[in-house]
Parts: sequence; C-alpha cells; structure tokens
Amino acid sequence: MEIPFTVTARKDTGLYNSKVGIWLFLASEVMLFGGLFSGYVFLRVYADYPWPERVLPVVPGLINTFILIGSSVTVVFAWAALKLRKWNQFRIFMLITLTCAAVFMVLKGIEYKAKWGHQAVRMDDFVILEGHTHPAGIDADGNVFHVGGHASVEDHSDGPHYIAAKTDDAHGGDHHAEHGPAVKDFRTNVVVFDANELVINLETYHEGVIGGILEQSEKANSANWTLVQPYVGRETAREDEQIILSAGAKLSLENLAKAREVYLAAKANDSKVRTKQLSDAWAKVKDIPGNKERPNHELVQDENFKINEDFDQFLVSPTSTVTFQTDEPITFVLKPREVRESAESALLADGSSLNGQLNTEASAIEMAADAIDFTFVAQRAEEKGVDPLAAVEKTWIIQNNPQVAAIWKAHTEKIAKLEEELLEKYGTDKQGNPKRVPTEKERYRITWQELVNYGEGNEEKGVFSGFAGPDHTKDYAKHFPEVLVPREEVNLETKFTPRWNTYYAIYFLITGLHGLHVIGGAIVLGYFLFFGKKMYLNNPEHLANRVEVGGLFWHFVDLVWIFLFPVLYLM
Amino acid sequence: MADSVAEIKKATKLYGFIGLTLFFFTILTVAVATVEALDFGVRGFDHIDAIIGLAIASIKASLVMLIFMHLNHEKKLVYFLFVMSIIAAIFLVWLTGWAFEDPITYGQGDHAGEKSGFYNPENPVEK
Repeated sequence: MEIPFTVTARKDTGLYNSKVGIWLFLASEVMLFGGLFSGYVFLRVYADYPWPERVLPVVPGLINTFILIGSSVTVVFAWAALKLRKWNQFRIFMLITLTCAAVFMVLKGIEYKAKWGHQAVRMDDFVILEGHTHPAGIDADGNVFHVGGHASVEDHSDGPHYIAAKTDDAHGGDHHAEHGPAVKDFRTNVVVFDANELVINLETYHEGVIGGILEQSEKANSANWTLVQPYVGRETAREDEQIILSAGAKLSLENLAKAREVYLAAKANDSKVRTKQLSDAWAKVKDIPGNKERPNHELVQDENFKINEDFDQFLVSPTSTVTFQTDEPITFVLKPREVRESAESALLADGSSLNGQLNTEASAIEMAADAIDFTFVAQRAEEKGVDPLAAVEKTWIIQNNPQVAAIWKAHTEKIAKLEEELLEKYGTDKQGNPKRVPTEKERYRITWQELVNYGEGNEEKGVFSGFAGPDHTKDYAKHFPEVLVPREEVNLETKFTPRWNTYYAIYFLITGLHGLHVIGGAIVLGYFLFFGKKMYLNNPEHLANRVEVGGLFWHFVDLVWIFLFPVLYLM
Repeated sequence: MADSVAEIKKATKLYGFIGLTLFFFTILTVAVATVEALDFGVRGFDHIDAIIGLAIASIKASLVMLIFMHLNHEKKLVYFLFVMSIIAAIFLVWLTGWAFEDPITYGQGDHAGEKSGFYNPENPVEK
C-alpha cells in the first residue's frame, strides 16, 4: 500500500504526513519530560535533607553538552546536504552525528559506573561519609581481619545473593600468605550475625530468603534448625486441632509450605466469619426506620451498630509464626540492604527474623573516605536551635577518629580564613552583616580535593585528575582518611544509586530516560545512513523528509539536555 | 521552508552560526555557576543563579527550536500542537503540586505544624 503525502504536503495541513506525526509524538514527549522536571522541582522543594547541590562532576556533563549541540548542528547539515543532493556529504555529517551519540553514551556510562561503585554511609547522627569500602575476611581461626590500605579498592558488589563465606582467591594473594590458605573472604560492608533462633512469618516468608538462610546454614555444617513448639492448626473451627509440624521438625521449604497452607486456610475462614459479623451488623442497623437514608460514616457511630460476638466461636485465630532453633549459633553473612539489624536480631526482607548476636567487629564498615559531609548535621542542629558547630563536634566520627577530628580542625580554620577574605573583598551591608559568607556546603562538606589539600598541608592546590570523581588508585588517595564505622552507628549505607536519596533517584530516572532517547534516535538516524541509499536513488526528497523528521526528534533530545545540564550539574 | 539551493546554502551558514552561539551560551552557563566574579546574589547557589541558569537554557532552547527545528517558519498546525503540549505540561506541573495537598498520603513532619511532604505515622494530620 502506498502511504500518501510522504513527499508532498497535504492541502489541509500544509505538511507532509510524517511531520504531523513527529510533532504529535514530540508533544507527548514534552509532557513526559515536563512531568519529570516538575517531579524534580517538587522533590527538591520538599526535600527534608540538604539537597546535593553541584555534586556531579561538571566536566563530563559539559563535554556531553558540547557533543549534543554539535550533533544537532551536524544532523541539520546532513539534512541540508540531502536537499542539495550531496549524498557523500550527507553520509559524513550523519556519521559524525552517530559518533557524537556513541561518545555521549560512553561518557554517561563512565559517570554511572563511578556512582555505582561509590559508597555512601549515613550515620545515626546524620554524618555522611562517602568513599570506598575495603575487602575483609575471617581467617582459619575465625578471627575477622580487614585488608585495608588503598591497594585494594576493587568493587566487590558482584557477589552472590547472599555472600556466603568464600575460600577462593578473589582478592589477590597478599593477605592469604599472612593468614594461611583457609581464609574466607567477604566485603567489610556486610552484616555478620550469629543466630541460634529463626522466627518465620508463615504469611510473608519468601522461599528465596529462607532458601538463602538454608544454603548458608548447610555451608556452616553445624547443627540443623529444629522446630521448638509443635505447629498445631485446623482449617475451620468445626475441625479438631491437628499437629501439622511436630516439635523437632527440620526447617525445610516443604514443611513451611505445609504449615502455610493450613494457616492461610484458617485465616480465610476467619475473614469469612468477620465479614459475616459485619454484614449482619449492617443489615440490622439499616433495618431501623430512618437509617437507610443516613450516610454510612454516621451509621458506624450509631449505638445500634453492634458486632454479634456469638460468631467468635467460629474463629480459628491461627498462629502466624513458627520458631526454629539450633544448638550451636550459625554465622550468617548478609547484604546490608537485605536486613535490618540490631544488637540481638536481624529482620530479613520477608519479615522473618534471626535472633542471636550481631558480630559488631565483623559488621563494621571500613572505608577510605573521600568526602565527609556535616551539612545534614548542621541542618538538623539548626532546626533544633542548637549551634551547628557544637553539634558537629559531638558527632561520633569527630569523637572517635582523631584523623577526621584533625581534618575538621583544619577545615574550620580554612573556613575562618575564607570568611575574613570575603569580608575584606566584599565588605558589609547597611546592617553591618558581611555581604558574602561561605556557603553551607563550603562550611560543612569536606570534599575529596580538600582532603588531599589538608593531607599535603597545602591549602590551595589546583585541579586534580579524577574525571568522574575521586580516583582511589591515584597517589593522592593516600590522604583519604581510613575510617572504621561500627554497624550500630550506621543509619543507612548504599552505593550512589536511586536508593541513596531522591536526588539520585530523579537523576538516574531522567538521565536514564534521556539516554534511551539518544540510543533510539541514533538507531533511527543510523538506519537512514546505512539503508537510505536505495530511497535516495528512488526519491531523494522522501529521504530528506525522513531525515528532517528524525532530526526533529534529535533536536528535541538536545533540547532536554540543554535543561538537564544546568539543573542537575550546576544548581 | 527553505527549499531553493540558494536558500538552503544560506540556511546552512545560519545553522553553523547558531551552533557556535549555543557553544558560547554553554560556556556562559558554566561560568556563571563557577566563577565567583559572575556569581550574583549570595555566594554559592541561590534563586538568582537558578533564574540566570534557566534563562540561558531557555535562550538556548529557543534557538534550537526556532532555527534547527524550523519553528521560525512553520505551518499553523505545528504551532498548535506545540502550544497545546506546553499547556498540557504546565497542567502536569500543577497536578504534581496538587498531590501535596492530599492529607492522607502527605502529612506533617517531625515537628508540630510542619509539613514535611511525606506521611509520618507518628505525627498524623489532625482532623
């Protein structure tokens, strides 16, 4: 079938059809990104934490802006070349456009990778530490050791679902020589928990989570999990109670499934009884003359609205949990994001909980910090009317880490100096207040460049390498302070992913979606470049129109980035 | 629409010039955000920086739309679609903002009378 108006314009619209199509599509895109930008604005305005202002490395963003603008020019040049019937020129400009798209995505990839490999820790007192964690392990005698040092900064995030204690030579041989061959490695950023009791919620337990627990238990080769109290139940109140699982039953997914089946049937029975009680009560209260017209929320308050408690005898009220124990505690190594730990219990993602003892030493996070951020501390202190500087002095890290305390001292001295310089340069206003003062970020956030400066005793050293952020393999990384943070002081730890805060959530959402648009646009333009020759020879104007339409989309992608760059990188 | 050979050749020169202008504005955007002498208002980022940054971005966006996307000489239907999409996008902004008026999902903050924008079961909204 011949598609009409691909070359000539329709009389009523004055446009060839695909142009109308692309503008309709662009209209939907304006709404999509408009909605996302408004989401950004509201997230920022309502943020209850210091918004990460100007934290992204500007250089990759700036280069990407140049690249996209440049490609916008070349795509329109390519269209003009087709209009002038210069095929080779068209090919060159289109090839440049596609190369720009590829470079853009590579830079984006570098930026993303730096975020995904970068660790953030928010402590209970709102201090934020950024950096890289070090690998650690348990030696043959069961003692925990940290590898430490800047030699080993590789990312160990690609471990299995549960990082079971491994015996392979994953981190190089250095520490193996010291501790013997039977070294079990894991990251420091794990929760190590010695448990002898497991409470499973029959309704919410997940086979993957319990399976992971069983797997680690088997590897530990210690005593098995056995049921403490028999699980007795019945599906309806008319039946007699039966022993579903007897005391001493082994923990297995089959046994849990048996108990769950009875529990859910009993729960469904109870729901039916409760529904009957309610509908009965409604029917009675509505039967009273004059009540039919009254709104429901009033009827609930009516004295005649009474639940018939005689029905309670039909309720089963099943037990929702089963408890397993072991004679010997088993050591579990858990990913922090899969567990909410306290000193004596570890709540798993499915609502089951391990009870026992948190191994505080092994669960400690050791990291080389490349930024120490007190802005959240200061914000909280100001909200409570406390002196922010005093609040910072009281934080765990300042109290317990002399190196960080010394860095903070050097930083406050630098800020005091900066205050004087600003006063000298800009003077005071009519009220006598200094016209310019250091920003909150300057006052309370110690950046990686500053850490290097303080380490070298040189306060004004210029630009460092580190294209997409600090590079821990470089020599300057020796100035990043080593901090050992106890797990019980940590409120949240994560990589710089959407989980870290709403800023990174919206950053990854918008830039990721924009990146997909770049890829999609490049595929379409690439199709014109590599498969357009036949159409060019048949009907060059048709191809020119197609390129114009593809170019319109490409300009739109550029347009979005023109706003994204200042909003995400510079504000 | 530039259609004759002479017009297209002329337009090509304009595209190159606009490209350079966009490069210049990009450098300007970074400069006003990073160079202290170009920092108006208080030191560091504030609403003035936001206005300046977004104003420059708007100028850049207008150039792209007017010249590269040919909106300086388009047919009526295109303008209609474009304007309607902008209106719809503004409506979406309003819609997002409206969600914050929802007392069920968005309650008060940690302190009495404070609206955090997020539901806080410990400090629910008083009826």
